Amino acid sequence: MRDQERRPAHLIEAVLLVSARPIGSSDLRSATGLSDQELESALAGLRERYAPESSGIVLREVAGGHLLSTNPACSAAVERFRREARPAPLSGAAHEVLACALYLGPLTRGAVSRVRGVNSDAVIRSLIERNLLVEVGADHDAPGSPALLGVTDEFLAATGASSRKDFPPLDSLVTQEELDRVRERLASSGTAAGSEPS
Amino acid sequence: MTFEPLGRSLSDFTVELDVYSGPYEWLLALILKDELEIFEVPLRELVESYLLVRRPGAANGLERDTDFAGSAAALILLKSRTLSPAIDADSEGIEDEPLSPEVLAERLTEYLKIRRAAEHLKDRFVLNAGHYTSAHTIAPRQGSLSINLDRVSLAARQAFSRLIEPPVRHLGPITVTLQQLAGIIRTAIAGGPVSYESLTSDMDRMNRAVAFAAALSLAQEGSLTLTQAEPLGPLTLEPSR
Repeated sequence: MRDQERRPAHLIEAVLLVSARPIGSSDLRSATGLSDQELESALAGLRERYAPESSGIVLREVAGGHLLSTNPACSAAVERFRREARPAPLSGAAHEVLACALYLGPLTRGAVSRVRGVNSDAVIRSLIERNLLVEVGADHDAPGSPALLGVTDEFLAATGASSRKDFPPLDSLVTQEELDRVRERLASSGTAAGSEPS
Repeated sequence: MTFEPLGRSLSDFTVELDVYSGPYEWLLALILKDELEIFEVPLRELVESYLLVRRPGAANGLERDTDFAGSAAALILLKSRTLSPAIDADSEGIEDEPLSPEVLAERLTEYLKIRRAAEHLKDRFVLNAGHYTSAHTIAPRQGSLSINLDRVSLAARQAFSRLIEPPVRHLGPITVTLQQLAGIIRTAIAGGPVSYESLTSDMDRMNRAVAFAAALSLAQEGSLTLTQAEPLGPLTLEPSR
């Protein structure tokens, strides 16, 4: 491959290397001065070069941009070098709060607690500290204009999603049989609770 | 929430959890210092860990069991309080009204979906763990300025509209000082104990408030004693002996 042909890939590679956040195509174009065609062609080559099976660095398409990161297969060495443990996994409660923000958001803390049926303030605080949740506005129709919460680009990157559209629709996650079973149980418990003792 | 100080009987008990690995006593300290969220600590696993290393035949076995049961009970209480809906939840939060079966079914359905979505997210987090990005930090740069005409219009309307004066009719000129009321109180109690209600019966709201502050001040300097037999009961001012 001649230098001239390799140059676009070099430019993109260099820009991606110094960014800890995903870079969108338009930002890459403006930084490198490449045309759409050159950019796409170079990115295709980089995807191949930085595929998980051929490199310790992988090119990911997450949070609406392109991001160079280490290959998870090498994570133990990276963690040893950085002398830090992998962040503690999220709790079930934290996953539920994130699911609320992802599928029902932006929504208020109160709305999250209402969906889950328990106070979620502590979980939300922890997720904000971990940059997975963020206040994206305020609900001006509600008393006190409570903050509205949404998921962050860090959340999309951590879940390997390019955008919110990468997640399956909420309705597809539960089958009709499961829903029917819930209604049946509810109906039977309501009948039992309402029945007179014989 | 407070823990009874543990004896040293559990000093050698260490736990291995996803969120924490180390001495049990330190785990309690981290929770109390809010450096570890209680909701992240799986109490069932904690109990199971203890049962694995429990030594009923040891000399201090009973003491260890007691210490652990006491602290574990406190953790359960703390966790349940953290997760329970706030008592003063407003209308925007969690309501105490009983739900109709239809609404309950709808909510359970919604929660079931969120639960499944949470499980799906967990899998995605696990699948994508171990990616580390560049450690190079970029200096912050100026953001691009965008002007939203609607917001500019709203701000202009608010800036140029006449402010609504807050109601101030209840606020009158200050006609009394703490020293004056202290003098009145001293004179009143010279003849013996007097109730706060009778002392302030002919005073307006402002004077009553200042009289109360003056009474507190006099009590603090030891000139009088305030007694109240029961909470919110009559308050009696009497000269100090």
